[in-house]
Amino acid sequence: MRWRLWLLMAPALALLLAVFAAPLLHYLWLSTQAQTVLTGLRPQPIGAQQWLRLWNDGRFWQDTWQTLRFSAASVSLEMLLGLVVALLLNQPLRGRALLRTISLLPWALPTTVMALGWRWIFNDPYGPINRLLAWLGLGAIPFLSNPAITWMAAVGADTWKTTPFVALLLLAGLQTIPADLYEAAALEGATPWQALQRITLPLLTPYVLIALLFRLAQALGVFDLIQVLTGGGPAGSTESLALYAYLNAMRFLDFGYSATLLLGSFAILLLLCSTAALAWRWSSRLQGELR
Amino acid sequence: MARLLLLLWSLGPMLWQLYSSLRPSEALSGVDAGGWTLEHYRQLLQGDPPFLTYLINSVVVGGSSTALTLALAVPCAYALSRLGRRQARSLTALVAAAAAFPAVLLFLALLELARDWHLANQLMALSLPYAGLCLPLAILLLQAAFADIPMELEEAALIEGMGLWQRLRWILLPLMAPAIASSALLVFLFSWNEYPIALTWLSRTELLTLAPAMARIAGSSVYTIPYGAFAAATVLGSAPLILLMLLFQRQIISGLTQGAIKG
Repeated sequence: MRWRLWLLMAPALALLLAVFAAPLLHYLWLSTQAQTVLTGLRPQPIGAQQWLRLWNDGRFWQDTWQTLRFSAASVSLEMLLGLVVALLLNQPLRGRALLRTISLLPWALPTTVMALGWRWIFNDPYGPINRLLAWLGLGAIPFLSNPAITWMAAVGADTWKTTPFVALLLLAGLQTIPADLYEAAALEGATPWQALQRITLPLLTPYVLIALLFRLAQALGVFDLIQVLTGGGPAGSTESLALYAYLNAMRFLDFGYSATLLLGSFAILLLLCSTAALAWRWSSRLQGELR
Repeated sequence: MARLLLLLWSLGPMLWQLYSSLRPSEALSGVDAGGWTLEHYRQLLQGDPPFLTYLINSVVVGGSSTALTLALAVPCAYALSRLGRRQARSLTALVAAAAAFPAVLLFLALLELARDWHLANQLMALSLPYAGLCLPLAILLLQAAFADIPMELEEAALIEGMGLWQRLRWILLPLMAPAIASSALLVFLFSWNEYPIALTWLSRTELLTLAPAMARIAGSSVYTIPYGAFAAATVLGSAPLILLMLLFQRQIISGLTQGAIKG
């Protein structure tokens, strides 16, 4: 009986191993090989050289910083706006189901499609925002050509696309909170703000954690949006780690270093997500002790 | 008021694309020109290859990926839900971690796979990596649904002398229909939107799926761009998805929330 269950799982588990585990192991090997145009695109063992190169690669560290900055800004904005939207959609309003579907539309669109759309919206001077500013007699904002601004434009486009996803998860969490808790709080004379702080947020924390970890992992691997919206520019100021690894493989034909970069990105991702999860567990244990 | 703001925030950018796609090119670049035009759509539909090709390619890839994912995920999820709790829990944790993994980090190894096995530029072959990437979410979703089916039901069927296959076909699958529909829709959405792997596996223009086709239409320059055609492309590219969302909103939403919460 038991072996039959494993037999049923075998094909799916095999494909999962092939798609997730095998690539990471392959990168581990490839990161010790030079495979470039100079080696005739054949792998040649070079030990830890590429890891040293990574350590001394200013562009890698710059992209790490840019990816972290993008992730921190967009994920925190999405969590905040997502909570607001979820609270709004949790109200008993007319047309709530339709509103929920419409608000989810940005999430369903292909990232490349919507990135192209945002490029037009951010256009200087013919995009709608800059036209409005011109009409108001204000100066144009160089959304896509000023390094200090372009990364924020990317954060804005990402927030637009993924806030609905966060909102939907948090909404599902809100709907598990029994209504009589709020009734009891209201009887005790609690203000809505107090109810939000004392009831909603603590009971919502598991959902917040799921949404946070998922979004953090995805944001640290940002690729589609950056490639289409800015191409990593201006002057590399929005280039992400994934885009740098992609360019190494597809443009510079340096496959060994690309694998090193991908593993490096994975290490950063692992470090951040496990730190977040551990910090969470630690703080909740601390809170438990205080109570 | 807040509702209006949410509507504007969600739909505004899309409505702007629709508006742009219907305006003559001169009007988009600041010249005062009135009137409306379908010129951008005509250009796109008569292009080489016509835009419709990309949509059809995406449907082919989406359909085959969905079929393959379900064929693998349904038996796996069933077995996982019948496995003892301890073993199932550690497996489920691994699957959940895979569900959050950013797929782009896998592109290089998958590209080498395509090269070694001659899978590049074959639309149906894309369903292999896509099924692999979608399996975690599909398994989590289906496993939760299987776990909700009472054991007694299956035991009764066992006493009736039904084999495993018969139980699956006549008892379990009908009860699983909603969860299967949700997973199918989410897998289809994923395949429709996936970019990095399609970008590296497909190079022949007439084989591109929608996502890489959009990026190719966008070209590499950020400055000199035929925006009318772009806007028309974004409208045509999003229309099928918007339709899908409106038709199946319930299944998609329940799938998304179930997948995340049970995982």
